[in-house]
Amino acid sequence: MTSLELILFAAAGGCVTLATAGYLLSLLIKKIQFAKVSTWLLAAGFIFLSLNLLLAATHSVGWGNFGSRHFLSIYAWAIAGIYLGLQFKTKTRVLGAFVAPLICLFWVAAAGQEADKNLVPPQWQGWLTTLHLVLAIAGEALFVLASAAGAMFIIQNSLLKNKKPGSMGRLLPSLGDLDRINHLGLLWGFPLLTLGMIAGAVYAAFVWDSLWAYDPKVVWSLVVWIVYGVLLHQRLAIGWQGFRMAFLSCAIFVLFLLTGLLIRFCLPTQHSFI
Amino acid sequence: MIILVGLNHKTAPLAVREKLFTECQGEVNLLSDLLAIEGVLEILHLSTCNRVELIAAVDETMQAAEALKSFLARYGGLTDEQAAGCLYVYRNEEAIRHLFRVTSSLDSLVMGEAQILGQVKDAYRQALGQNATGIALNRLMHRAFRTAKRVRTETGIAANPVSVSFAAVELAKKIFGSLSGKKILIIGAGEMAELTGTHLIGNGAEEIIVANRTVAQAVTLAKKFRGKAIGLDALDDGLIDADIVISSTGAPSYVVTEEMIRRCLRKRKSRLLFLIDIAVPRDIDPAADGIENVYLYNIDHLQDIVDENIKNRRREALKAEAIVAEEVARFANWLMELEAVPTIVSLRSKAEGIVKTEMVKAQGWMGNLENGHRDKVEALVNGIVNKILHAPVAVMKEESVEFASQDIVAAARQLFRLDE
Repeated sequence: MTSLELILFAAAGGCVTLATAGYLLSLLIKKIQFAKVSTWLLAAGFIFLSLNLLLAATHSVGWGNFGSRHFLSIYAWAIAGIYLGLQFKTKTRVLGAFVAPLICLFWVAAAGQEADKNLVPPQWQGWLTTLHLVLAIAGEALFVLASAAGAMFIIQNSLLKNKKPGSMGRLLPSLGDLDRINHLGLLWGFPLLTLGMIAGAVYAAFVWDSLWAYDPKVVWSLVVWIVYGVLLHQRLAIGWQGFRMAFLSCAIFVLFLLTGLLIRFCLPTQHSFI
Repeated sequence: MIILVGLNHKTAPLAVREKLFTECQGEVNLLSDLLAIEGVLEILHLSTCNRVELIAAVDETMQAAEALKSFLARYGGLTDEQAAGCLYVYRNEEAIRHLFRVTSSLDSLVMGEAQILGQVKDAYRQALGQNATGIALNRLMHRAFRTAKRVRTETGIAANPVSVSFAAVELAKKIFGSLSGKKILIIGAGEMAELTGTHLIGNGAEEIIVANRTVAQAVTLAKKFRGKAIGLDALDDGLIDADIVISSTGAPSYVVTEEMIRRCLRKRKSRLLFLIDIAVPRDIDPAADGIENVYLYNIDHLQDIVDENIKNRRREALKAEAIVAEEVARFANWLMELEAVPTIVSLRSKAEGIVKTEMVKAQGWMGNLENGHRDKVEALVNGIVNKILHAPVAVMKEESVEFASQDIVAAARQLFRLDE
């Protein structure tokens, strides 16, 4: 990592941390203004992170220097990008209070990685791996957003059900908007993850002569894929929406986050660079 | 001096307000008649269903206030006794404060309502069009609008709805986000349901279905909304289509049962459903609230929200009063300086005039002096005059801020014989 990259990375972290604080403060004192400022801060953080990743990509020969730090940064970058994109469509600024901490978390995780450790093994580097990684990360980022919207839906739902909308209810986005974000997250996240997994499988077929590898992370991904697939099916075909979807996407997200961390730190895996 | 004469919903009964309102509206030459009154320099006439008020800039005598009072009494056909009870007269700071409070909707029947500002603006536009206002009222009105704007943006006085039907609209927005394309089912052709329906349509809701026991009545209401009418027996179909249900029938038992809603859930694909039950006794089974994605609010729930909002408005009103006080002080200051300033100006010009004539007189012997010396003499004279005038001018400026300038200004005018 060059010093300019480091500066950009640190600036992105600073912006994201401030944005997170602003969003949470906005919830705490129930003033939308803080959330508005935080959205701009988050956008600045996103731009810094984009520049950082762009520099890293141009400096690196192929995948030479890409490792854990970059992949975790890409997670933070993808979540921030998708969330900010949604901001143009819906007025759901306060949702940032749930999304920004997750972005922050990924940034901290990225910062915790040594810059040139856990790189993608040279023999794996290729465009198919790139496709596999980017699509899978984008898909998972969309699931993160769907779940954050679900969590906020649950809170707004309980305020409305208890007939106490009050100033908190006024601050939080409407149920309809939150449900729509949950819907969009699943609708776009699922095909992206599917394509990402296909790219991975095709690559595996070339390199290991097998579509399937008994790797804990691969199994975990397949389970994630199936569960979200079922969820999307229920939503589109059966018409599950509102509270049930919000609750399920939230619960599933927490479950996957925990198992994901468990696998990452406790089991040997071929995907150790993520 | 600014004065305000008038009556409002707190001081006068509806019959009196009504009469005065129509008389004033009907009179085309009202403003010019008022300007013709002796002592009235500038005038503005505000009349709404809750108040009739005259705001005027008048000279220092009290005759104008009395004349305006009897003018209103005559128009409203009030007896002396009635006039004494209904009409109020505010002067200077009191008048300014009253106007600012009215414009900021602090004096309204429903505190924080937005209409009054538009009405005051219309009244001002009318007066402006007839050249009835001048420097004092123009500035006063602009300050009033500024104050109203500050109150609206800096306090939450108009933030939350204080009527049941608007509270329902706000809840609908919190549930659905945008109301565009949403379908409304109105059960029972009651007035309250109609009002709420109107507000919902005003906020973007599109399709209306009216269900009633007697279909003929449903048809009448449906026509108003360009909607569809159905009988109560077809309620199940209505529930499948609707996003928002407003019920206000006179039925003694539940018109919409939990079972009915559960039955249509599958066909609705569990879309969000907002049930508003404003009937007493209740129309919708309270158990329906336990169903997922169904939000049932009855009249008490809505009233609780309204009460809470009214409480909030009262709290915000305190902040608003502080803003009004600040703006009143600022304007009163300006007004008072206005009185001291012309006196200071005429004092200065009188002194300058004296210096000029004396210098002309002295030209004979000053001709002997060298050029440089002549300038020095002139500078000396000007210096002495300015030193002497400095104290009285400073005192007038200081006093004018304290509301007591009138006496001092009057004294200065007399001492320096400025009025001759």
